[in-house]
Amino acid sequence: MTTATEFAPAPRRSGIKEWIFTTDHKRIGILYLVGAMAAFVVAGIMGLGIRIEQMSPGESGLINYFVGDFAQTMTTGAAYNAALYFHGAAMILAFLIPALTGFAANYLVPLMIGAPDVAFPRINALSLWLFYAAILVALLTFVIPDKPDIMWTGYPPYSITTSANTAFYVFTVHLIGFASILGAVNFLITIIYMRAPGMGWNKMNMFVWTTFGAFVIQIVFVPVLAAAVTLLLLDKYVGTGFFDPTRGGDVLLYQNLFWFYSHPAVYVIFLPAIGLLFDIIATQAKNYIFNYKAAVYGGILGIVVITGEVWVHHLYIAGMPNWISIGMMVTTLLISVPVGLILISLWGTLYKGAITYNVSMWYAVVCLFLILAGGLTGIPLAITSLTVHLSETSFVHAHFHFIMGLMATFAVFAAVYHWFPKMTGRSADIPIAKIAFWFTVIGSQVTFLPLFLIGIKGMPRRYWDYAMFPEFEPYHLIATFGSALVAVGVTLMIVGWIYAAFRGPKVSTNPWNSKSLEWTHTESPPGPGNFQRPVRVDESWTPYNYN
Amino acid sequence: MPKRLEMIVNLLGILLLSGEAAFAKATTGEIQSPTEAWNHTWDDVLWDLWIIGGVFTIVAVYLLIRYRARSPGAVGTARPLNLDMALAWALVPAAIFMADDFFLAAKGWSLWNIQRQVPRDAMEVKVTGYQWYFEYDYGNGITDSELVVPVGRPIVLRMTSKDVIHSFGLTEYRLKEDMMPGRVTYLWFYPEKPLETQVVCVEFCGTSHAEMYNKVRAVPKAEYDAWLSKKLERKKKAELRKSQAADDGANVEPAQ
Amino acid sequence: MRTFILSSAACLVVATLTCAILADDAHAQYFRKPASDLDPHIMLIDEEAVLGAKIDGQTLLIDQNGKEFRWAEMLGKPTILVLAYYTCDGSCSLINASLAGLLNDVKIVAPGPDFRILTLSFDRHDNLATTGAFRKHLDLVGPLNDHWTFATFKSEADLAAQTEKIGFKFFWSPEDRVFLHPGAFLFFSPEGRLIRVLYQGSVSGRDVELALLDAKQGQFRPGEVINFALSLCYSYSYQDGKYVLSIPIVIGLGALGIGLATLFGSMLFYKFSTRTKPTKDGSHAEAA
Ligand SMILES: [Cu+2]
Ligand SMILES: [Cu+2]
Repeated sequence: MTTATEFAPAPRRSGIKEWIFTTDHKRIGILYLVGAMAAFVVAGIMGLGIRIEQMSPGESGLINYFVGDFAQTMTTGAAYNAALYFHGAAMILAFLIPALTGFAANYLVPLMIGAPDVAFPRINALSLWLFYAAILVALLTFVIPDKPDIMWTGYPPYSITTSANTAFYVFTVHLIGFASILGAVNFLITIIYMRAPGMGWNKMNMFVWTTFGAFVIQIVFVPVLAAAVTLLLLDKYVGTGFFDPTRGGDVLLYQNLFWFYSHPAVYVIFLPAIGLLFDIIATQAKNYIFNYKAAVYGGILGIVVITGEVWVHHLYIAGMPNWISIGMMVTTLLISVPVGLILISLWGTLYKGAITYNVSMWYAVVCLFLILAGGLTGIPLAITSLTVHLSETSFVHAHFHFIMGLMATFAVFAAVYHWFPKMTGRSADIPIAKIAFWFTVIGSQVTFLPLFLIGIKGMPRRYWDYAMFPEFEPYHLIATFGSALVAVGVTLMIVGWIYAAFRGPKVSTNPWNSKSLEWTHTESPPGPGNFQRPVRVDESWTPYNYN
Repeated sequence: MPKRLEMIVNLLGILLLSGEAAFAKATTGEIQSPTEAWNHTWDDVLWDLWIIGGVFTIVAVYLLIRYRARSPGAVGTARPLNLDMALAWALVPAAIFMADDFFLAAKGWSLWNIQRQVPRDAMEVKVTGYQWYFEYDYGNGITDSELVVPVGRPIVLRMTSKDVIHSFGLTEYRLKEDMMPGRVTYLWFYPEKPLETQVVCVEFCGTSHAEMYNKVRAVPKAEYDAWLSKKLERKKKAELRKSQAADDGANVEPAQ
Repeated sequence: MRTFILSSAACLVVATLTCAILADDAHAQYFRKPASDLDPHIMLIDEEAVLGAKIDGQTLLIDQNGKEFRWAEMLGKPTILVLAYYTCDGSCSLINASLAGLLNDVKIVAPGPDFRILTLSFDRHDNLATTGAFRKHLDLVGPLNDHWTFATFKSEADLAAQTEKIGFKFFWSPEDRVFLHPGAFLFFSPEGRLIRVLYQGSVSGRDVELALLDAKQGQFRPGEVINFALSLCYSYSYQDGKYVLSIPIVIGLGALGIGLATLFGSMLFYKFSTRTKPTKDGSHAEAA
């Protein structure tokens, strides 16, 4: 049994230059977190603006300030659409995917598998800076007059005929797409070839497995999205007619190509989020992963296999041939089998455990219920005929906010709290974190539960005004109040993180008494090369072997 | 191997054919309103969701309370599952979930058949989407910006768009369908009693997307006929005036 | 490192090639004029206005044998409808003969089991005798002859109403003593919706084939996978009045291929390149 004290202390101190030119996966991971949180904050402010505009029917004009239109030259509708575009595109492309497959994967995967770094460290740095370039392009939305207003989906012909700027959307997707393909190659090879001797596939942390699944999805499907948006660019600025029906194009083809990537993208977010939860819960419950192999081979790999055959559930009301809609309804519903196996495994990991609660675990517990709510409300949306009423309503909006906006986001928060001692040597579990937790969790429920209710009654999505549905005003008012609570919570949380990073209470290298390599074999924070000596794990070792 | 493949293909064929048979059945007999059918199916599916959600919630709450650490440094006492248990815990839940999936799929499909199978004697109105309004063509050159239909007759809308993608959202009737340039789509509904409601555009179509809606009125047959003949008369008058204006146009100065 | 250079080079080549093809195609799509001998504004069917329209299923028609039947009886399969008049020895027989020629090139679907053909007269003066003469003149053989019906409208009112429904316009020119009318092939779905209009003279057998697949409205049986795939690869260009290769689907498939190739390529690369590198030394490793 090795103890942390054998390692030499004190990581290398460093200036800003070393951060910019770093090829160290841990620093790259932290830089991903910083960028993703910056995108989260800006996109969150847009979300707040959206809620404020929707608080009551009619225009408030406030949304114009949010998108940087201080002279009020835009109509409320145009400003609202710009805010909505930024909120959606940034939350998915610049926050969720980079936070999970950028920050978490970078920081944790090499440590968890006992590798000194990723397979191609310099390519890793390149993909980080591509990501920052993408954030910059996205942020230009606020300074250009023709702000993109095509939503994160960018459906033609609107994205082609609009006078707003579609190019920035396309470039953002290109940069992020290229960054994630590079990341995918890097991490797949790292996971396949750089595991510590003795670490078989069945001994990997759940988060490593989910990252593996997510990157397989990325590498296969991202090129299709990149191709689709490139054709959009050509149509709008070069004058081709790929999506113009008068010239032999087809407007539905874009939607098919888009969702062929973008449904799997949901699992690029869902899988690593679940992986983080598994590792946090197993550590805090000091327990085995319940039915590990079923969760990995049935759950994670099951999702990877099925995810490419379900995208038409986004086109149920677009007049697709019946048999395709029905076929994809069945495949979509069948996703419940791998997801069900994962849930049983998550629940089972609590069974006979010895659960310790802290802020990280609280977030993880909330996530369990969010998966239920978000997953179950996905079932009616998998059914062609129920979707006929529910699609494009705030029911859909609330559904994917539960599963992505709340569950995956809270999983990221939980991960930050859980691995904060590893990253900084200090604990972020300070009183302000607990206050922030309650504000965020309660606020998010107050925001999105009313949206389910009015969604069932038919409140359309992406509406800045709802003059035709005055009866929904109280619900919107409550939702807006909730979003204000979330804003307070998130602000407190980030303040807490920054404070804790410099002034937080110092903790030991393995405060949770975890069995996972990143805790047992490295300092906090780990030095260059991670492990002072190459790691080898023996026969009886698993990251979850507590008794 | 090819033989087995052939068998699979045939099996799939039979499956699809039986689906089509279900289609055919839906058309005979009295008309089923897709609106009511939606409400029914929704209630059933909701029960299903509450049951699954309830079981998982209760189990989670129990586990979270029951297995909290009793002493600092306590560890879990579970053992890894043996092969039999692991298989059972994978296959049994998988079978249950699959059974539920097929149950839901069957429910969904039968509602889908009702929604997509237009009754034969349906009255047809052509709808065209523009940024940002719907235009209704009742035939005989009568167009209007409002959808007025007689009660007691299924209505089928033949829809297309002239510019970008819109979607015809009949909230109160629990129906919607996209309208796309270069494509023709359908939606049918069954106004069984007089009702004044609205249609909203539910596919993002630009700046005024949220302002694209109009009244949908289901009125008694007599009232509908009166409305239609009034429209026809007004149209004839307008045409007459137009042709007169054209005749007079040569020698009459336009009014200032 | 080499895979990256190689794969980016490959991407570049693919991208350049596709761009070249695209540019060529875009050029072709821009500068081609709709091909038609007649005045396009009067003699073309306004597709956008009538697509999806139905002919009344109860409309009574009389076939070449004098048997009465309803339009609804023609449905259940895709139907090609040609509107013509039988005393015309110029364009009408040309239109029908040209359809017969095009149908000879159609291989993947067959008249009879897969679709029906109906020529219908819009001239109220046509009768059994003129129908017979016209048919004899056309001299069809084989399955085309068996599954091609020639008919007239029973009532004049139906004639006017139903042709108007599908936007088919025709004029009697007293000087030339002929009808002016579009030389169109109208494709109806099994439910009797007008799905596609193609014009004689500007289309090929492939277009007719694709229009027939289009008319199936996605209701393919499992054995028709190839037909379905074919129908996906082409899309209809309203401007050209014919089908063009759907480039986005080719590019989408190519992109998917690039993704899969990157996945397996990078695995192979790493496997072969690490052979020469020193293997990870486990001898100093410690047990956990
Ligand atoms: Cu999806
Ligand atoms: Cu619209």
